[in-house]
Amino acid sequence: MGRMSFVFRRLVLLVPTAIGVTIITFFMVHLIPGNPAVTILGQRANPTTVAALDKQLGLDKPLIEQYWLFIDHLFHGNLGTSLYYGTSVSSLISSHLPATLWLLAYAAVIAIVISVPLASLAASRKDAVRDHVVRVVPLLGLGLPAFWFGLILQTWLGTKLRLFPVTGYGSGFTGHLQSMFLPALTVAVALCPVLIRSLRASMLNVLGAEFITTARAKGVPGYRLLVRHVLRNAVIPAVTVLGINIGYLIGGTLIVEQVFAIPGIGSLMINAIFQRDFTVIQSVALFYGVLVVLVNLLTDVAYVALDPRVRFDA
Amino acid sequence: MSALSADPAPAPAPSPAVAAAPVRSRRARWYRQPTLLTGLVLLVIILFMCYAAPLLTSFNPNTQNLEEPLLGLGQMGHLLGTDQEGRDTWARLLYGGQVDLRIAVIAVILPFILGIIVGSLAGYFGGWVDAIIMRIVDIVVAFPFFVLVIALVFVLGTGGKSIYIAITAVGWVSYARITRGEITVAKRQEYVLAAQSGGLSSVRIITRHLLPNVITQSVVYAMSDIVQDILAIVTLSYLGLGVQPPTADWGTMISAGQNFLTTQWWLTTIPGIAVVITGLALSLIGDGLADLLRTGTS
Amino acid sequence: MSSLFATYPSLRSSPELLVRHRPILTTALTAGAALLALAGCGSSASSSAGGTTSSSSSASAGTPVTGGNLTFANPQDAQSLDESTVFDNNSIWIIEQITQPLFTVTANGKGVTPWLATGYSVSKNGLAYTITLRKGVKFSNGTPMTSKDVQFSLEQTMAASQGWGYIDTAIKSVEAPSTDTVVVNLKYKWAPILADLALFANGVVPDNYGGKTAAAFYNAPVGTGPFKFDYWHKGSALKLVKNTNYWQPGKPYLDSVTWTDVPNDNTRQLQVTSGQAQIDQFPAWSTVAQLKANPSVALSLFPSTETTYLAFNEHVKPFQDVNVRQAISYAIDRQALVKAVVFGNGQPANSLFPPQVPFYDANSGGLQYNVASAKAALAKSSEPNGFSTTLTVPSGNSDYATIATIVQSELKPLGITVNIQTLDPNTANGNFQSGKYDMEFSLWTMDIPDPDELATFGLVPTSGSKSFFTFYNNPAVVKAVQAAEVTTDSAARQADYNTAQTQAAKDAFMAFLYYSPYAYVEGSNVHGFNVTPLGNYHMEDVWLSSGSS
Repeated sequence: MGRMSFVFRRLVLLVPTAIGVTIITFFMVHLIPGNPAVTILGQRANPTTVAALDKQLGLDKPLIEQYWLFIDHLFHGNLGTSLYYGTSVSSLISSHLPATLWLLAYAAVIAIVISVPLASLAASRKDAVRDHVVRVVPLLGLGLPAFWFGLILQTWLGTKLRLFPVTGYGSGFTGHLQSMFLPALTVAVALCPVLIRSLRASMLNVLGAEFITTARAKGVPGYRLLVRHVLRNAVIPAVTVLGINIGYLIGGTLIVEQVFAIPGIGSLMINAIFQRDFTVIQSVALFYGVLVVLVNLLTDVAYVALDPRVRFDA
Repeated sequence: MSALSADPAPAPAPSPAVAAAPVRSRRARWYRQPTLLTGLVLLVIILFMCYAAPLLTSFNPNTQNLEEPLLGLGQMGHLLGTDQEGRDTWARLLYGGQVDLRIAVIAVILPFILGIIVGSLAGYFGGWVDAIIMRIVDIVVAFPFFVLVIALVFVLGTGGKSIYIAITAVGWVSYARITRGEITVAKRQEYVLAAQSGGLSSVRIITRHLLPNVITQSVVYAMSDIVQDILAIVTLSYLGLGVQPPTADWGTMISAGQNFLTTQWWLTTIPGIAVVITGLALSLIGDGLADLLRTGTS
Repeated sequence: MSSLFATYPSLRSSPELLVRHRPILTTALTAGAALLALAGCGSSASSSAGGTTSSSSSASAGTPVTGGNLTFANPQDAQSLDESTVFDNNSIWIIEQITQPLFTVTANGKGVTPWLATGYSVSKNGLAYTITLRKGVKFSNGTPMTSKDVQFSLEQTMAASQGWGYIDTAIKSVEAPSTDTVVVNLKYKWAPILADLALFANGVVPDNYGGKTAAAFYNAPVGTGPFKFDYWHKGSALKLVKNTNYWQPGKPYLDSVTWTDVPNDNTRQLQVTSGQAQIDQFPAWSTVAQLKANPSVALSLFPSTETTYLAFNEHVKPFQDVNVRQAISYAIDRQALVKAVVFGNGQPANSLFPPQVPFYDANSGGLQYNVASAKAALAKSSEPNGFSTTLTVPSGNSDYATIATIVQSELKPLGITVNIQTLDPNTANGNFQSGKYDMEFSLWTMDIPDPDELATFGLVPTSGSKSFFTFYNNPAVVKAVQAAEVTTDSAARQADYNTAQTQAAKDAFMAFLYYSPYAYVEGSNVHGFNVTPLGNYHMEDVWLSSGSS
C-alpha cells in the first residue's frame, strides 16, 4: 500500500481514538465515589458551590447529554473552570505550556546527544567489551527513579557545586538553558535506556545491510562508514522512537517539574491533585491524551516520509 | 504499528517450524545464560534480604528514637544510621522492600491475566473483535501511564487498593498487544488448523495449544512491567499518594530523607540505589529470558 | 517527618478550617473585645506612622536600605484576591499587602490599633461609631481615599453572604457625612466592632471598584497598601510592586515582593539556602535543627495561636464517662508528641486557649502525662478493663498519622485498643462534623484577637459547632463563657475564662495536645520580617541589606 493511503488510514483511525480519549476523560467524573460534586468540592461544598459545579459538569442531566455538553465545550475551547482559582482551565494550561515544551524539547535533545554516540559505540562492535558495557546502561537506567536522580543532581550540582540554579524556569533564552539543564538531564536519563536499545538494534540492522558490506568491501574506513551511513540512517529512527515514547517522556516530566519547581503542566496537574481541582485534572489528562495521539500521528507520518523503504501493514 | 517501542525486549515471534519444540531442551539450557543467571541470583539475594529481615536486623522499622535522631553510619549498632525520627535505616530498607516488591508483583498479575485474555481474543478471532480491541488499546495507550495512574489515584483515593486498580486499568494493554501479535502468527500453524478442523472449541485451542507457547513473551515483558510498577509505587509514595506513613517503603524513605541530602546523604541515596538494583535484577531476568527464547528457537 | 507538602494541617484539610468561617457562627464575637480594642487603641493612637507592627526577628537591624526584590517561597499558591470571599490563608496574607482596613491587629496579636483610621468616638447609646480617617492617604493609582471609599468597602463585604458577610452582621448601615469621617451604625451594642473592622475582609477599596465590575477589579485589586498588584501567574508566581503613593513615609523599603508556589519542602529549602528565595514559609519541622545551625539563613519560630487537640465524641460509649476521657488524656505524653511531630518546636498544651489569646490561663494545669493517674482514672470508670475504639485520621497527613501511632501505643498498656482508621480528608471531615466518629484530631488558629470565638465554638453545645463536635455540655462552663461575652470588665472576664478553661481541662472534653509556632526561614540579608500570632505580616517593614534579590 502506498504512503498516502497509509497516512490517510492513520488519520481516519485518529478519529475513534480521539473520541475514545474524550470518553475516558469524561468518564472520570463518574468514577468518583458518592456524589461527585460534593466529593470533589470537599470542604468547599455548600449548596451554592455544589449547584454551580453540578451545572458546570452537567451532572443533573442524562449521561449522553452530559457527554455532548462536554464535547461541545471542548470544541469551543472551553475546558471548564478551575475549582481552586475560579479562572478558566484553558488559560491555566496555556500559561503553563511553554515551560513543559521547553523541558520536553531540551530533554529530547540531550537524550539524543547521549544515546546516539553510545549506541554507535555499541553497534560498531557487537558483543565486544564496549558493547556489553553500553548494554548495561539501559539495564541500570530502566530501574532508575527519575525524581531520585533529579534530587541528587539538584543537591550536588546545584547546591553544593553551584554549577546550576537549583530550581525554576529562568528567564530569557540563556536563562532557560541554564535553569532547565538539570531537569532536562533528569528526564533525558530516564529516556536513554529505551533510546539506546532501539538505536543499537536499528544500527545493527543497518550495519548488516548489503550496502554497508559493499562499502566496506570498497575500503571505506570504519569511521566514515559510521558517520555517513549508519548515523544518518539511525537518527531518523531516534526521532521516531522519541515520538512513539512521548507518553513515557511526558510521564517523566510530571514529577521532575515538581522537584525542580518548574511551572509547567506537570506541576499544574500535581498541584491540582492536592488542591482537589478536578476540572484541571480532567482537562490536563485530556490535553495529554490528545497531544500523544497527535504526536504519534506525526511520528508515523514522519517515519513514512523519511524512510522510503518501509512498507506498511496494519 | 511500532517496530520500536518502549518494550525493552522486542524479540521476534518464534518461527512456526518450532512452535511445538520440546520444552525440555529450552529448560536444559537456562542455566547457561549468564544474563538470566545473574539476574536470578541477584533477585534471589534481594528477596532473601527483604524477607529474611528479622534475621538480618534486630531493629523494628517503625521504632522511633526521638532523643537521638539522624545517627551516622554504624553508630550505636545502626548499620545505616537512623532517620530524623530515630528509626533504623537498614530495617526500614529491608521491610520497605517487602512492601514495594509485594505491591509491584501483585499489581502485575491482574493486568497480565486481563491483557492475555483480551489479546488472545483479538488475535484469535481477528476481524471486528480485533479492530475494536485494538482501538481501545490505542486509546488507553494515548494517556501517559503515570498521568492516568495519578488521576485514578485522585479519583479513587490513596493506598494499596487504588494503586492496584489504577495499574490494572492502564497496564493490561501491553500484554494484550504482545499476545495478540503472537497469536495472530501462531494460529496459522498446521496443528492449530488441524485442531480446528477436528472440532475443538476455540477456548480449548487457545488455552491448551496456543497460549502455552506464546505466554513466554508476556512473561518477559512482565519483568520490565514489575520494574515500571516499582517506579510508579515509589513515585506515588514520594508524593504522599502511595504507601502511607509510617509504613516504610523506599519512596517514603526517599521523601523523608531528601531534606538531609547534604548531611545524612545515605538516607535518600540508599533507597534509590535499592530500587535501581532491583530494577537491574528484574531487567536482567527479562533480557535473559528473551535471549533464551531467541536461542531456543534457532 | 517531612512530606512533600507542608505539614501544617491548617493549610490542608484541617477539620476546623471551613467550620470556623460558617455564617452560623455569628454569635461568636463578644462584648468584651471592645475593651481590648480600646486598650490597644489608646496606647498607639499617638503614633503618626499608624503604629509600628514590626519587631526585627532576623539579624542585627541597622538602618533600613531602600530597594531590592524579595522572593517569598510558599507551599501553596493563593486562591483569589477577592477580600470579601476568600478564606485561604495565603491569599489573605497577600491581600493584606494591597488593601488595608481601618484598624489593624497589634504585633502581639492581642489587640487592635488605628491604621487607616486615626481615632473614633462612640455615641452614648453605643450604637454609632464615628471614625476619623487618616488624612493624605491615597490609593496606589494616586486617587485620594475618602469616606465614600470606606463606605463602599464595608457595604461590599456586608453583602458577601457566602463570604465574610457574617463578620459584619452587627452593622446596620455605614454613612459618610464628610470626606474624612465615617459613621458605622450598629443594630445592637456590639463591642467587637473594632476587631471586626480590623479584619482584612474589611480592607478599603475604591468606591464602586473605580468603575470596574467586581470580577475585573479583583483580578488586579487596587488599595492603599504598601504594594500594588503587578501580575499573577497562577501555580507559579504572584508579584506585587512598590506603591509609590503609600502613606507611611519612607516605606515600603522593597521594590517588589514575589510569592512563588513551591509545594515541595525540600525545594523551598534549597531555594532559600542558595539565595534563590529570601523567605521560606513553613519549612518541614524535621529540618528546623539543621536550618538553625546553618549560618546563611535565619530560622524564626513566631508564636502562633495554633493548637492541636484530640476530640472525644460524647455521644459514643464510653466517652460520655469523664473518667474515661481523663484516663486517655493522662496517658498521652505530650512532650513525646512535640518531639515526634514538630521536632521539639512546640509545647504541650494545658488549655483550650493557646497562650497568645487574651485571657489565657497559664495556671489551668490541664491534664498532663501521668501514667499512674491514667490507670487510676480508668479504674474508677465504667470500663476499668479497657475497651476498643476507633481513631479516625485523614489520609495524606503525616503529622496526624504520627500522633495516631503514638497515641495508639500509649493507650495499649491501659487495655484500650485503638484502631486507626484512615479516611480521605473530605470523608474524615464530614464524619467529624456530623458526629460519626469515636476519636478524631482537630486544630484551631485564631482569626481575631479575642477568645470568644474559640470559647463559643468549643464549649457551647448550642452553637452550630456543638462544642467542637464533641457534644460536651457543662452548664457551669457555658454560663461562664456567656457571662464573659456580656461584661466589659476585664477582671471579670479573666475570672470567667479561668473558670471555663480549668473546668474544661478537668472535664477532659478534648485532650489538649500541643501548641506549635509558625516557622519561617529567612535569608541572612532579610530584616524586619515579623509574623503576628494570627499569622499576618507587614511587608512594608521588611528590607534587604544587600539590596538585591
